[in-house]
Parts: sequence; C-alpha cells; structure tokens
Amino acid sequence: MDDFKEITSGNKPFKRAYVAIMLWFVGRAIQAAARVDKNVKGEFKKLPEGFTFCLGVLPKGPYMIVGKNEKGRVKYLGWEPGGRRIDLDMKIKSIEAAILMFTFQESTAIATARDRMIVDGEVPHACAIVRVLDIGEVYLLPKFIARQAVKRYPAWSFGRKYIGRVRIYFRSILGY
Amino acid sequence: MYLPEYYEFCCRVKMIAGHDALEKIPEALAQLHAGRPLIITDKGVSGAGLVDTVVDAIKDGVDIGAMADDVPQDSSLKVVNHLADVYRDNKCDSIIAVGGGSVMDTAKGVNIVVSENADDLMKFSGAGALKRALRPLIVIPTTSGTGSEVTLVAVVKDHERHLKMAFASYFLLPNVAILDSRMTLTLPPAITASTAMDAMAHAVEAYTGLAKNPMSDANAIAAISLISNNLLNVLKNPSDREGRLALANGATLAGAAFSNSMVGVVHALGHATGSMCGVPHGVCMSILLPYGLEYNMRKNAHFTGELLLPLAGAEVYVSTPKHLRAEGAIAYIRKMNQDIHNATDGRHARFLEEVKDRDGKRMVPREKLEAIAGAALDDGSIFYNPEECDYEDFLMIIRAAWEGAPLDRTLIKGV
Ligand SMILES: [Fe+2]
Repeated sequence: MDDFKEITSGNKPFKRAYVAIMLWFVGRAIQAAARVDKNVKGEFKKLPEGFTFCLGVLPKGPYMIVGKNEKGRVKYLGWEPGGRRIDLDMKIKSIEAAILMFTFQESTAIATARDRMIVDGEVPHACAIVRVLDIGEVYLLPKFIARQAVKRYPAWSFGRKYIGRVRIYFRSILGY
Repeated sequence: MYLPEYYEFCCRVKMIAGHDALEKIPEALAQLHAGRPLIITDKGVSGAGLVDTVVDAIKDGVDIGAMADDVPQDSSLKVVNHLADVYRDNKCDSIIAVGGGSVMDTAKGVNIVVSENADDLMKFSGAGALKRALRPLIVIPTTSGTGSEVTLVAVVKDHERHLKMAFASYFLLPNVAILDSRMTLTLPPAITASTAMDAMAHAVEAYTGLAKNPMSDANAIAAISLISNNLLNVLKNPSDREGRLALANGATLAGAAFSNSMVGVVHALGHATGSMCGVPHGVCMSILLPYGLEYNMRKNAHFTGELLLPLAGAEVYVSTPKHLRAEGAIAYIRKMNQDIHNATDGRHARFLEEVKDRDGKRMVPREKLEAIAGAALDDGSIFYNPEECDYEDFLMIIRAAWEGAPLDRTLIKGV
C-alpha cells in the first residue's frame, strides 16, 4: 500500500467500489444466514413482516437493502434504495469511515461509539440487525479478522462454524 | 488518559450554580432578549413550595407571563399542546421549566410547538428534523439525578395514537441550567440516594464505556468525586446546603458526560427492570452498577480501577495495588449501597429481591427475570457497552443482582 499514491478524486472510485462489493456480499450473506443459522433466523422472525433495512454510505452510496417479505423470507433486495420505504436506515457518514469498517480496522461497536453512523429507525430493530451483522461477520471472516470486528468471538460448535460457513459462502455466491 | 482516534462532544448549556442562583434568572433571560417567561412545573413541585421560591426570586426582575403546574408523571402530547396555547395566550417569550425529567421533556416539546408554530409535533421527531434555534429555555432541576438539564433529547407520548415520539437535537439543549441548593433541600433521603446513584451510574458508565473521551472523562471524574464525597453526609444531614449543591453539580456533570459518551449494560438492564416491574430508575441503577462493572471487567478493568481515586480518595487509591483497584472500586460502590441502606433505615434496597413498593409488596418476582433479560436485548445502551451481552449474559447478571451475591466472573463467556 505504501508504494502507491492514494487516489483522492472527488468520487474515490476505488474505495467506493471496494465498499460496494463488501456491501453486496454482506447483503447476500444475510439472506443466506437467515436460511442456515438458527440465531439469524430467530432475529428475523421477531422483526415485522415487510421489514426492510438499508446499510449504506453517505452522501451517495453505495447501499445495500435487505428485506423480509410477507411469507417471512429474507431477501437481498439490491443496491438501490429507490423510492422504497425503509424501516431501518443505517448510514455510514463517509466513505473513509466505511473503509475503516470494511477493512475491519474499526469494529461496528467502535464505529457507533465514534459517531460514524446515523441510524434512523426503531432501536430494538437496530439491536437485532447489529446482532445479525455480527453473526454474519463471524461466518464470513477468518477468526483473526473477525475478532477485531465483534466484541466477543463466539464459541460455536464445529458444525455451526465450518459447515455453516461453507453453506453461507456457497449460497451467497449463488444467491439463494 | 485515554484519547480515542476520533470523537464528538457537545454541551453548550450555560450553568448558573449557587445558593442564590435563582436570583440570576432575570439577568440570564435579558441576555437572551426575553423577559416574559411561561413557568412549567408539576403539582408535586408546586405543592412543595418550590415554585413560590422561584417566583419570589425573580418577580422583581421579570414579568411572569403565566404559571402552569399540570404536567403529569408522563409527558403527553395533549399537555404539550395545551401548554403551547397557554404560552401564546399569555404572549410569553421564553420558558422556565422547574422539575424533573417529565417537566423538562414537556417544556422541550412546548418549545418546539411555539417556536416552529407546529400543529403536528410528530413532524419534528427523529434526528435532524429541527433546523434552527428555539425560544429561550431555562431549566431548574428539582432532583439531582437524571441530568436532563444538559441532554438534547425529549420524549413525548401521544396517548391517543399510542406513540412515543423521541426528539433529539442540539436545539433542544436548554440555554441555561440553574442549580440552586434550595431546589433539592427538601428531597426525602431515599429519593436523594437513588437519584444520586443514577447520576453515579451515568458518570461511571460514561467513563468505562466505548464512547469515552477526555471531555466526558473530566466531567465524569468530577461528578463521581462530588457524589461520593457528599451523598452520605446529605442523607445524615438533609439540610446540608453545601452537600445538596455538590450533589446537584455532580448530577449535571454526570449528565454532560453520559449525554455524549452514553451508557451501557447497567442502563440496558435497568431500563428493562423499570419497564417490566415499575422499579424506580435510580433504585435499579444503584443495585445494578457494581454488577455491570464486574461483568465488563475483562474489557475495562483498567478504567474501572482509575475510578477508585474519585470514589475513595487519594489515600485509598495509592495504598491499593494497581491490579486490585478495579475490584476496590466495585467494592466501594457496594459499600456505598450498604451505607445508604443503613442511613435510610433500610429503605434503600441493596439487591432486587429487596425492592418493595409502598405497600411493602415485592416488586421484582423471580419469575420475571427471564422477561427482563429478554427486554434488555432491545435496549440501545448495549451498543456502547464494551463487552458483548446476549440473553444468557443478561440473565446471569440480573439473577446475581436479584440475589445480592457478587457475580461469579468465571462464568462469563469468552476468552
Ligand atoms: Fe440513568
């Protein structure tokens, strides 16, 4: 990294592209984890029908939207909030802050504590989604990175952690 | 001193504190280009003669527009709209709130309505909805605990639509907070104790939490020292004016700390216990505070240990080896609870099983602990707690706090 000059154009295309890919992955992984992981399933079960949640970066994206339809199925709904009604809107205040989070230099909790995010919606929903994101991170990331991202690395069974991880990666990539 | 890579802190409330601070209100209003205030309070405060004290102190210097003492226990939209009419009918130009949390919330709600000429308060709820300064607001707290005089939030309930509207804006910060020893001189010992321990919990959680920063820390340390040095004296000698003023200052300092650095597991469980069983907030705080600190020790024992200095003083701090200071701070808070229990003839509960209502009935049945742990999961305070808290963690803490036995720290999950 040190050998390269940082690109500081107004749009920061590389940083935004990186965050966009991460958000896409997180969105699809939440959809997959809602099928595979009992805790994520449980969190979404308690959320209202038609609940939609947007995680994105100010001022102009990228974003990702996840929703729960009338049948209770959790789906990744793409990267454009459009005119959609969003129940829980979590916005990272700048692309720089998003980079800190998605390169796992700063945990979600520390980012929140440092006022890096604006959360609009009901607090219990935000609590549930933060738990879902934490579980997602444990599935997606190797332990030495995930330990930086969550407050406490969970002691999961071999099956939940490794078989679950394979199933979630597989489903995220294929998108079902 | 811990310095985070980045933080935000804001507390732009002018403080006027002293044994004759009320007399400065006319001057403070004049500086804000106002002179015809609406006084908002509740029946308890006016019944105790506190509004008379305020009126006597200011009546020569200002032209009081109106006085309304019908704020209920819970702030409500109906009352807010009614008081806004009183404000307009009497051509007021500013608001003085005298009371506790619900009076201040109501006054903030009224201020939005009269400043924005709002017919629907709902339009101004949520973050960022208020765009400009409101009418001058002066607050006079009558308890030393919540810190509402320096917080930027207000909650107003719409009972007809079953809605709880939350407002958060720097424009909701009062212009001036008045701390006058006369306002808390008659507060009964048990309430003095529980509200002071609420303030203690604000300072301690702000200092040991994830959003701590040097500005909040300075406020928190001063708050802890003032409360720890004065609470027992005031309980034994309720008319101690210096002690009362010290507690009022402590509560406001703690308010400045926690409104910027937030609170953690103690408040998450405390809010849940309050809403499930109706236990007063301060009572929950004094009981849960040592347990929250024990639970978080693996993450922040060094910060908790630093609190032994403002809690117990320099001599104790220096003579306690560094690795025992966190435990020392926790033991000190437990001992405070015991001393308060003794000083209030047992009215101050030391553990949850001991909490009784006015008829002597137990308020927290053991069967409710699971529900409390579940409700705590929905509380936003857990974001700022250094240690993870899941349902089992909450249940473990609340069970220990119910029985009054220290937390078995070997049972805390994780490595
Ligand atoms: Fe509190």
